[in-house]
Amino acid sequence: MLEWIAAFIVDSPLTMWVEATYWIWPILEITHFFGLSLLLGGLIIIDLRLAGHFKALPLIATHQLLPFVFIGFGLNLITGILFFYGDPLRYAVNIGFQIKMALVFLAGLNALLYYWKIHPVIHTWNSANATPPIARFVAYASLTIWSGVLVCGRLLPYVGDTYG
Amino acid sequence: MFSWLETTGVALWVGESLWGYPILLSLHAVGLAIVVGIFAMRDLRLLGLFPGIAPTVFLPLGKLGWSGFIVNAISGVLLFTSQAVTFVGNTAFLIKISCIIIAMSVAGIIQSRLRVEAAANTGLSAISNSTRVIAAISLSLWAGAIVAGRLVAYL
Repeated sequence: MLEWIAAFIVDSPLTMWVEATYWIWPILEITHFFGLSLLLGGLIIIDLRLAGHFKALPLIATHQLLPFVFIGFGLNLITGILFFYGDPLRYAVNIGFQIKMALVFLAGLNALLYYWKIHPVIHTWNSANATPPIARFVAYASLTIWSGVLVCGRLLPYVGDTYG
Repeated sequence: MFSWLETTGVALWVGESLWGYPILLSLHAVGLAIVVGIFAMRDLRLLGLFPGIAPTVFLPLGKLGWSGFIVNAISGVLLFTSQAVTFVGNTAFLIKISCIIIAMSVAGIIQSRLRVEAAANTGLSAISNSTRVIAAISLSLWAGAIVAGRLVAYL
């Protein structure tokens, strides 16, 4: 599917613009790193609390961090799409990029699991009680998957050099 | 001294082994997320956001931030050895390192202020203006470290 999208957009004006604008790439990288700091910073605290750590922190209060998690994700979605437009054929066939996208999708499913199984009942949890196994699972899965996203992103230039 | 550093066994491993450099870069990214992520959330809290979260929670969370910093200090030094001469001559790199050293010193100052607050048991009290200013400085330093760090490859 990625290769189909890449072939579809490779001649687009946006691809030509990103390729021709020499300062756009560092600006996208900087914004992508700001985004990852907000996304991961918020998630580390939310997930560790959900897993039962830092119990001095009220569980529900951690949800106040969520807007920054979404802002971080939004920044990285936009900058990520522009990266892809800038070099679609290379990204589409890169195994690091493919795994990274699969992991982002998996993180989305994990978030759905949270909204389906945990969100409706979280208000009834007493912070003195043991953390339910499903909460620990979702929290550690989230931290593991997002670490994987980071690692794949960083390894991207070093894998899949069949192109280029 | 820096050209000697590049000839050491560890520098050669980092620079020439197939996976040395990418593995260290990956660790450096995970460490960045931990240290900048947690300290940025702490600074935003001190600037008045997330009123439901007691600022003193960032004392135990700060330890996690420091462990992220240690990961990055170690991975960063190892990455540095492989191209030490290039890095010391790179303005963006020098700005990045300065930002980090100041930001970590500021983290120490913020921690001692939080400890005073924890001892006074006023976890949800108003945050003093001086602490807000320090938090704003800290946030700018981390932003500066990221900007400079990304520009190392371009300048």
